[in-house]
Amino acid sequence: MESSSSTERVRFRTQVLARHLHQHVPSQSQSQSLRPSTCLSYSPPELSEPFDFDTKAMRKLMDGHNLEDRDWLFGLMVQSNLFCPKERGGKVFVTPDYNQTMEQQREMTMKRIGYLLDRGVFQGWLTKTGPEAELRKFAFLDVMGIFDHSLSVKLGVHFFLWGGAIQFFGTKRHHEKWLRDSENYVIKGCFAMTELGHGSNVRGIETVTTYDSNTEEFVINTPCESAQKYWIGGAANHATHTIVFSQLNMNGNSQGVHAFIAQIRDTDGNVCPNIRVADCGHKIGLNGVDNGRIWFDNVRVPRENLLNSVADVSPDGQYLSAIKNPDQRFAAFLAPLTSGRVTIAVSSIYTSKIGLAIAIRYALSRRAFSMSPNGPEVLLLDYPSHQRRLLPLLAKTYAMSFAANYLKMLYVRRTPETNKTIHIVSSAFKASLTWHNMRTLQECREACGGQGLKSENHVGHLKSEYDVQSTFEGDNNVLMQQVSKALLAEFVAAKKKNKPFAGLGLEHMNKACPVIPSQLTSSTLRGVHFQTDIFCLRERDLLHRFAAEVSQHQVQGESKEYAFIVSYQLAEDLGKAFSDRAILQTFIEAEETVSAGPLKNILGLLRTTYALITMEEDAAFLRYGFLSRENAAAVRKETGKLCSELRPHALALVSSFGIPDAFLSPIAFNWVAANSWSSVQD
Amino acid sequence: MEWKFSNWKLGAEYFWNEFTLNYLMATYSKTQVSILNGIVMGGGAGASIHGRFRVATENSVWLFYLHNVIVVCRLLLAPYVFIRDIFFKVFAMPETALGLFPDVGASYYLSRLPGFFGEYVGLTGARLDGAEMVACGLATHFMPSERLTSLEEALHKVDSGDSMVVSAIIEEFSLLPTLKEKSAYHRVRNLMDFDGLRLLFTAEFLFFKSLLLCRLDIIDRCFSSRTIEEILSALESEADKSKDDWLSLTIQALKKASPTSLKISLRSIREGRLQGVGQCLVRDYRMVCSVMRGKVSKDFFEWEPSRLDLITDSMADSYFSKLDDDNWRDLKLPARSNLPVHAIAKL
Repeated sequence: MESSSSTERVRFRTQVLARHLHQHVPSQSQSQSLRPSTCLSYSPPELSEPFDFDTKAMRKLMDGHNLEDRDWLFGLMVQSNLFCPKERGGKVFVTPDYNQTMEQQREMTMKRIGYLLDRGVFQGWLTKTGPEAELRKFAFLDVMGIFDHSLSVKLGVHFFLWGGAIQFFGTKRHHEKWLRDSENYVIKGCFAMTELGHGSNVRGIETVTTYDSNTEEFVINTPCESAQKYWIGGAANHATHTIVFSQLNMNGNSQGVHAFIAQIRDTDGNVCPNIRVADCGHKIGLNGVDNGRIWFDNVRVPRENLLNSVADVSPDGQYLSAIKNPDQRFAAFLAPLTSGRVTIAVSSIYTSKIGLAIAIRYALSRRAFSMSPNGPEVLLLDYPSHQRRLLPLLAKTYAMSFAANYLKMLYVRRTPETNKTIHIVSSAFKASLTWHNMRTLQECREACGGQGLKSENHVGHLKSEYDVQSTFEGDNNVLMQQVSKALLAEFVAAKKKNKPFAGLGLEHMNKACPVIPSQLTSSTLRGVHFQTDIFCLRERDLLHRFAAEVSQHQVQGESKEYAFIVSYQLAEDLGKAFSDRAILQTFIEAEETVSAGPLKNILGLLRTTYALITMEEDAAFLRYGFLSRENAAAVRKETGKLCSELRPHALALVSSFGIPDAFLSPIAFNWVAANSWSSVQD
Repeated sequence: MEWKFSNWKLGAEYFWNEFTLNYLMATYSKTQVSILNGIVMGGGAGASIHGRFRVATENSVWLFYLHNVIVVCRLLLAPYVFIRDIFFKVFAMPETALGLFPDVGASYYLSRLPGFFGEYVGLTGARLDGAEMVACGLATHFMPSERLTSLEEALHKVDSGDSMVVSAIIEEFSLLPTLKEKSAYHRVRNLMDFDGLRLLFTAEFLFFKSLLLCRLDIIDRCFSSRTIEEILSALESEADKSKDDWLSLTIQALKKASPTSLKISLRSIREGRLQGVGQCLVRDYRMVCSVMRGKVSKDFFEWEPSRLDLITDSMADSYFSKLDDDNWRDLKLPARSNLPVHAIAKL
């Protein structure tokens, strides 16, 4: 008895060891017969989803610049308790604690800024110029936005709006006095443009400033309740200074909107005399930003506080401006808002990346329903319908990521000649990309089912954090109208002067009208040539139609403004057509930089998916006959195929986003362990 | 001196196996207890640090000069058993910070030490004693070496792999390292000569503590900088403010180390902070193979390139890229499925 049991034990141990050494994996059929009911367990998608292309190279292409700087900053955040590292399912995640009160969240945002300031993150943000310094700044802002939108908005207000206003509207005396102190947060700035009664229509603001030549001071006033400054980020708690946008009234003559520097708090944080400040209160998102309201009661500021790059007032009260036309003067004032639009467009795409990385990783580890009785349940992403929900958004996110990079580069290499292009492209991309982001997040939230509702899983919560992007720095709809208006102006100018189109990618208008084949085969659909043709055709045709409709109204005696307003349907279609075509072009350009190989192949697949999904989704293609019914059906059929071809690359594509695991969320990884009973006990 | 390691592929095979072993240990679901009763470095560090429990003693010494293992390969592929001897020779000359970078997954665990202590340890090759290893998390427990035999007996006796049970037993024999040993830095001990004293809650203790906190603070401030050059200049400006010779020793250590080593080690730790242990080992393997092939840097008796500013980004990049050699492959780690959480979160 004794000896037989010890032999048994020896045999048992030998078997165990042998299995160990050979890494024995029971075959599927065996395990099924042996395990009547297995518990669900998490299997990392990395084990079953090999990468067919170099994800590092893809990340480099997507992030575009300052990769090591980005990783450094990610690391700085992960290593500090201020970023609330929490262990879930064997991994550490960082995320703001959204369960804190509004006041606590605001204080945390400021503390995080203080930590990053001490680590030198903001060095050169206002005191260095040139593309290199600007790109470093943009890279850091991208990274901080990936952690928390409040953090990047709070920084955006201080550096890009307050700092940018001083840089762009100010002159040497302002630069010397304010920039270094702002960079070091000795001064905390805000930007008081929007009023209760006026948002997008900045020209209509009601705050009034007059000049007192006896004391050489400007006197700022809030004449009525609708003139109170509203949504001013930083005003409620922290800002010490503000840029005030105000009508400048000189001896009874209004000179239009001008910008002044005013102090609103002393160094101890007490509100200054003649300033009244109130809170905007709790918001649907961005509660880490202290948005406030400001009233000015005869606030006196020195004459030097007028930001005088385009207009000045002499000590004796003479109004002086090199730009005589108030419209042009006004346009010059809006320049800093361009950088805001650039950063918003870019950040919205990073947010889509977060949403998609989480939803796609979840769809690669979560199963639901079996195809056959007792059969294994199917991975969410193996359902063609689930692929159709997420993968086109992934392709669009790639396309728009290249568009965002293009816009960034356009901005940092700006010259006076490119200002108009930047204004139009940034308006179009800001609107398109932020709309895309909201739609993506909603789809990702739903694709994660109930898990998408938990704040710790981000996707749902990000919707309310980023919703504001379609409103601030220019309402999306208003921006798109401006794009159509600008395109029409180009059109009219080209026709009037009988000169070819130049710039904004409109050169295709000079060529013969592209012809779309009556029968679209798969290989035609996948060709750059066809895709470019049909996007250009759509833009060209819509521009003609829009011009015709506007001029028809004018012929009937309507004003130009009225003509625009009533032609809103075509204006909307045209804005979209311009934006989509410009995005496609940036994709093609990015693709051209890559040499033949797996990376280029996957980019081709993504670009085609982007192009065909756009055609499938926008009714304009059918409405105006760019696609026949047969061709529209061919496009639809192809999109299904494209989704199944993208499916094997889904994990590699989201892994190329360069977002560290710690900045995703528990459902993107071992969600079984993250929700286990033992995790509740810790 | 023109010297190139001729048969680097033999070394590559060795590292392939070593790193695979490290990975298996790092993702092993069975409870591993490592006893660090002596010098912990290189391969030994890799074999112990990835395990669940790491017991330090008064004899523990953490040594991680840049970089020991490379020295071994270059001196020729000694069988593992000889490695120790060579190490001892190397470390008999402390001014020679030979070699290249902390490997065996060090970028994973060093980057996960509190704050920026990992950068400090990895770049300066600071020695840590057992108590310091516990304080920073490299070791999980501390006990006097005379208790080790009893610990082994007790572990034998319960014959359980349950990490809770094992943990309870180790706890039983462990103690909190005494104050002087809790120092994260040697200089304080030498300077104040606290040897043999337990100074809990005395004036000295408070003074001592503030010094310590101040140092950790300096480490966090300086070693969090973006580049080696910035780390050095941050340390130098700290040194201007205080007369702490720990600072000048730290600066010297950095200045004596190979510039190439410093650059790629820092980058490796920074990348490792955001990656899993598997990705870290794959990177380590690329780096170690590049180093052995010796195309970019020829560090051996004198540094080449000799200055930080001579190392371009593309030179550094080459250590992180796939080797351009037909017979070379990226490290392919075995698939580890259904890992329990405790198997992947040891540090």
